[in-house]
This record gives sequence, C-alpha cells and structure tokens, in this order.
Amino acid sequence: MMKLTFELNGEKVECETRENNTLLDLLRIDLGVTSVKKGCENGECGACTVLLDGYPVASCLVIAPQVEGRVVTTVDGLVDDPLMEKLRQAFMEDGAVQCGYCTPGMLISAYALLRENPKPTAEEIKKSIEGNICRCTGYVKIIEAVLDAS
Amino acid sequence: MRPIPSFSLHRPQTLKEALGLLNELEDSMPIAGGTDLLIDLREGACKAKHLVDLGLIKELRYVREADDIIRIGSMTTHAQLVASELIKEKAPVLSEAASLVGSVQIRNAATIGGNLCNASPGADTAPPLLVLGAEVEVASTAGSRGMPLSELFTGPKRTSLAQGELLTAVYFPVPPTGSGASFRKLGRRKGCTLSLINVAAYLETDGETCREARVAFGACAPMPVRIAGVEELLRDKKIDVKAIEEASSACYGLVEPSTRAHSRASQEYRREMSCVLMRRTLMEAYERARRNI
Repeated sequence: MMKLTFELNGEKVECETRENNTLLDLLRIDLGVTSVKKGCENGECGACTVLLDGYPVASCLVIAPQVEGRVVTTVDGLVDDPLMEKLRQAFMEDGAVQCGYCTPGMLISAYALLRENPKPTAEEIKKSIEGNICRCTGYVKIIEAVLDAS
Repeated sequence: MRPIPSFSLHRPQTLKEALGLLNELEDSMPIAGGTDLLIDLREGACKAKHLVDLGLIKELRYVREADDIIRIGSMTTHAQLVASELIKEKAPVLSEAASLVGSVQIRNAATIGGNLCNASPGADTAPPLLVLGAEVEVASTAGSRGMPLSELFTGPKRTSLAQGELLTAVYFPVPPTGSGASFRKLGRRKGCTLSLINVAAYLETDGETCREARVAFGACAPMPVRIAGVEELLRDKKIDVKAIEEASSACYGLVEPSTRAHSRASQEYRREMSCVLMRRTLMEAYERARRNI
C-alpha cells in the first residue's frame, strides 16, 4: 500500500492504494465514482475515459500511483461547466443516449474536443470519439448531438 | 475484473536514477505510457516484479531540431508528436502515422519509445521512422550508444536491448528538398485499430530520376522491415507512374507475412494488399517529392 494525493473534480483527495491498482478501480471501488464505467479493460472501449491533467485517457490503463499530484476530472466534476451543460442538453434532446453505458466516456471525449475545437466537422467528431465504443450503435445521434452543442 | 499481478513501482525523477534502478533490480521493466504493458501484465505475458515508471523524467520528453537532425525524446507521446509543428512541417509522414495509432485516449498516454520497444510487428511509427533513416539512442549505466532503428527489432515483441538498457531518443536527418514520404495503414475498421498491414515510402527526386527510395512494411514479417528489392527497382532510375506500378507489383514476392492460422490476416491477403498499399504510398510520396523540388 502507498499514500496517494491528487485532485479529483476540484477537491484534494488523500488515500491509500495498492501499487497495482488501476485509476479505474481506484475511482469506482475505492472512491465510489461510478460514473466511470468498466468495459474492456484493454483501453479500447472508452467507457472508463477521464481527463488526466485535462487530457482524455483510458483510466483502465493508468496505474493509480501515476496520478500522484495530478488532476483527474470525471463528468461529476463538470456538472456546473457551461460547455458540459450544453453537451448534456444536446445528448438528451437528440436522443444520443440509449443504454447509457458509453455516455460518460462519450461526454468526456466530446468535451475535450469542443474545448480545443469549438466548431468541429462531423469527421473531426468521429475522429475524436474513435476510442469510444457504443454497442447500441447510436453513433449518428451522438455525432449530431456534438454538432448541436458546438 | 482482471486484476494486475502485484509489482513494486519505482518513480525516478531523472534518467540517471532510472538507469541505476534498471541496472540494480532483477526482473525489472520500464513503464512508459503503459498502454501495452498493462495489458501484458494482466494477461501474464509480462511477469516483471519491478516497474520503473519513466513518467516523471522530463528530460525524455522533447521534440527538437539541431544541426539538421530531428530528435525525439522516447517519452514523447503520440499526441505530442501529432501536435508538434516541427514534425508537421519537416516530417509530416511521422505526424500522419502517429495520428493513426489507437485513439485519442491511447495517443495521450502512449509514447514513441514505448511503441518502438514494444516491438509489435505492426507498430505504426516504425515504418515511417525506418524510411526516414532513423537511429535510436540507447542508454545504460555504462553509457549511451546509437544504432540504426532496424537493429532494434529482433522479432515479434522482441528487441536487441539488454536488461538495464533504455531507449532514450529516436533521431533522423531532416528530409532534404526533393524528398517526399507517405504512410498508409489497413485495419479492420478506420478508427482505433491495429494494423493488418502498414507501409511507408520515401522518395527523393529531381523530377526525372529517383535519387533515393526507401520503403518499409509493418505486419509483413516478424518485425517492421525495409524491402531492399523494391528500393532497388526505383533507386537511380527514371521515376514515373509506370515505374511505381512495377515496383509495387514486385512486393507480392518480396514480403513474407505470417502464415499462422490465428494471425489477424492471411498471408495471401497481406501479399495482395502489400502491392495496393505500396502503390498508393509511392504515388503520394512521389507527388509530395515533386512539389518539394
């Protein structure tokens, strides 16, 4: 076990973790942040996407000790963010959510895109969510929602 | 739930400290972006007892040019490579290949050093670096040395690095005027996919003659490889569409893709596609070279 200090959704977190713990399990199991979903554990599905120092990463491929001193953001930390609010509204209005399992990861990826590129093309949106799999095959509506939020 | 077996983690701040740890610790392994290594640990393919995390070593994260050589620190991520104006301007073929590795999430974590040292036969940054004439810098507590990138790969997921050695940089000459390069990959789908086959081509021309030709394939051999037979068909000869088509067709007999039944694509398919992709990359490299005279 080792001590770990980092910033999670704007708050300082001090906790103990195993060295072989993933950031994904740290968030879900140890800290109860269940908006971060566990899918493939291979870095392919994107359900576990979080922002690490502002950039999207697959939290299943980050070991917990690597977030020491860093900033981790999940959708929970962006509740009051105007850009995320626009995305969330667009996802609801456009029916971009079916089972919802991919949604937190999709929102994080879309948020990271729009922050860098406020007016993306449909192709740029597709590229930005290439690491987020939706098995309800709702990509068309997801892309429309991101376009509407831009 | 697939837990990662336990290991001891070491987080050096400097390269010197990292080399000391890798030299001292038995069963140790450097961890860069971790996007391949964590999967290998979960699956038991890697049994390292000590992981030396290179993530805090700032001196391994840079892209710079000096004396007509472009040098990339081994801990530079694919996202940083894609964002580099220097690479975009002077070696766009590497930007393009890096932008096709994995997904946004993977490119933000995965490093160029990791991509090369993981030594997947289909590593996407390898063919462009091979045709750019790249060398790698390898360091250990005994000192550092350079070697051609082609000598790094010894087989699928195997490199010539000895225990305690670390790849610290990859570097190549700034491509001259009259040169052009191109990269293509073929996967099962467009986004976030492993290459069934990938290819890079580099040409130098004065408009008439091909002064230099370098081509490399990934996933067509146990490691990424240059194909001398194709290069010889082009080098110092008149270059035009016909010459490119002839050289591309020759790929069929010059590549030796895996015949394993559980390979991601059959040998026959890869042979056919090697010709198609070679033609497309050579054509694009030729167009780019001509615009660059």
